[in-house]
Amino acid sequence: MIRCDEVTKIFSKNGSEVMSLDRFTAEVADGEFVAVRGPSGSGKTTLLLTLGGMQRPSEGLVQLAGRDLYAMSPAERARLRSSEIGFVFQMFHLVPYLDLLGNVLLACPGKPSAEVRQRAGELMDELGLADRASHRPGELSAGERQRLAVARALLNRPKLILADEPTGNLDPENAAEVIRHLAEFHRGGGTVVLVTHGEVVNAHADRTLSLEQGRLVTN
Amino acid sequence: MSVWSHILREVVFRKLNALFTLLGLAMAVTVVVASQLLAEADERETRRVTRDMGFNLRLIPAKTDLGQFYRDGFSRHAMDASMLDRLATQLTNKVSFNHLVGSLRREYTINGQDILLVGLSETYVAPGQGKKPMGFAIEKGTIHIGSQVALVQEKKKNDTMHVGVRQFAVANDPIETGTPDDITIFVRLEDAQSVLGLAAKINEIEAIDCLCLTADQDPLAILRKEIGGILPEVQVVHQRTLADARAKQRQTREKVNQFVLPSVFVAGAVWVALLAVFNVRDRRQEIGILRALGKGGERIAALFLGKAVLLGLVAALIGSALGTWVVLEFGPSLFPVTKKAIQANWPLAAQLIMVTPVFAALASFIPAMLAVSHDPAETLRED
Repeated sequence: MIRCDEVTKIFSKNGSEVMSLDRFTAEVADGEFVAVRGPSGSGKTTLLLTLGGMQRPSEGLVQLAGRDLYAMSPAERARLRSSEIGFVFQMFHLVPYLDLLGNVLLACPGKPSAEVRQRAGELMDELGLADRASHRPGELSAGERQRLAVARALLNRPKLILADEPTGNLDPENAAEVIRHLAEFHRGGGTVVLVTHGEVVNAHADRTLSLEQGRLVTN
Repeated sequence: MSVWSHILREVVFRKLNALFTLLGLAMAVTVVVASQLLAEADERETRRVTRDMGFNLRLIPAKTDLGQFYRDGFSRHAMDASMLDRLATQLTNKVSFNHLVGSLRREYTINGQDILLVGLSETYVAPGQGKKPMGFAIEKGTIHIGSQVALVQEKKKNDTMHVGVRQFAVANDPIETGTPDDITIFVRLEDAQSVLGLAAKINEIEAIDCLCLTADQDPLAILRKEIGGILPEVQVVHQRTLADARAKQRQTREKVNQFVLPSVFVAGAVWVALLAVFNVRDRRQEIGILRALGKGGERIAALFLGKAVLLGLVAALIGSALGTWVVLEFGPSLFPVTKKAIQANWPLAAQLIMVTPVFAALASFIPAMLAVSHDPAETLRED
């Protein structure tokens, strides 16, 4: 599913260079649930954004299903993200002026069909949000917001979910709930790469990658 | 979700940003509409006021000695009245003169009183201009007399009075004007020709120039060339004071317009652009997630430019209505002479309704491009 070969990312910051990823090499198989761990600043988020086609590496190769991600045009990468990748972030990144249904449907490329609307409704039902469809994100608890972000990530039936500390702002009960939904996606054949500090994911992850100063230290 | 639905929800959510953008654009449109309508009213008023001050162009026989002309107020030479007809046939809205009146002026004595006898023809106006003839029309069998004439001859309105062998009715209430008109009797041209024994003769053609040149230009050269081409037998006397007053007033207005309109456009553009930059800054996370969800740059640009177009359209409607209302409400007190001519300028409003959304979109273009080129990874990493 994913192959990273000698991926390096260097940022320029205040005149000096910071290496966020240092010759990172790893593979993630189809249907695998991989946890990524490491201290703050170890390059976990950079890795996730790079895998999602959002952050061009300074060097190295990133392949998704055999395709060189950064050999594609920005428009092709955007289409790929829309159809095959779902994102979940620690800060939810919901659009504050759209209601819950609108936020879920935002993932749909173009005008949502009746079928897509039905799926959005089903997802909200599964994630316990059906009765809040007309509310705005500002009216939800943190756990509900993250469940909404998960529903949005699942709408287009992606093959891969990239989750960046999705439980970082949640209490243990809500964290377990979110991980449970990601695990369900995994059981259905989906691939998950999840950046986390928490322990709740241990029971579900097939493998853990540990990063330190941009380098893979445990695979 | 359609772009317009998305834009509308954002506008409702970020009310203040939308409201300030709308206010800025609506104020700019209001100023443009009001200043344009006021400028039109101002020009109309000036034209009317200067027109009512009298003719500023006098065509007299070429042989006239100007010393005698200025001393007596009329030429002692005469010319054929057919010259008036020749000039009148050339009256179009392309020539630099209008409102032609032929006259025959001579000193005359009635019951021992020296007066000025003036015969006036009808007024010739360029076709299609729809302007009212200047001065006053003299009905057949009537005369208009000056205040001194009325006093000495002991005449008032509706009295009868002999001029030569003919009897006329006094048609006016004589009012003292402090001008030679006070010792003048105005009659129809053919009556003056008959009384003075100068059949088919006139000694002056009066007109108004309509050059509206700036004060530093020379209208006399243009008028002499134009009129000389039609009537080489006349010399042209141009009363510059009246013409200059009008030209200077017009020049002042143009200078004001040169300053006001560009200032309004620049201020409006800066205001809209600043608010759009704030809007882009407020929506960085939204832009990031839209990118992550696979939305392209054109969709991001459409959200910002579409918002500008929508607000520009609403602002144009509000500003056009407000600017028109302000002028219709307060214009008549500023321009009392031509107040009835103050009207809404619908073509201008239509132009502004088309132009303002484009203007707003252009002003928002750089912020929209900032949004499009914004690196989503930067904001998504800010967790």
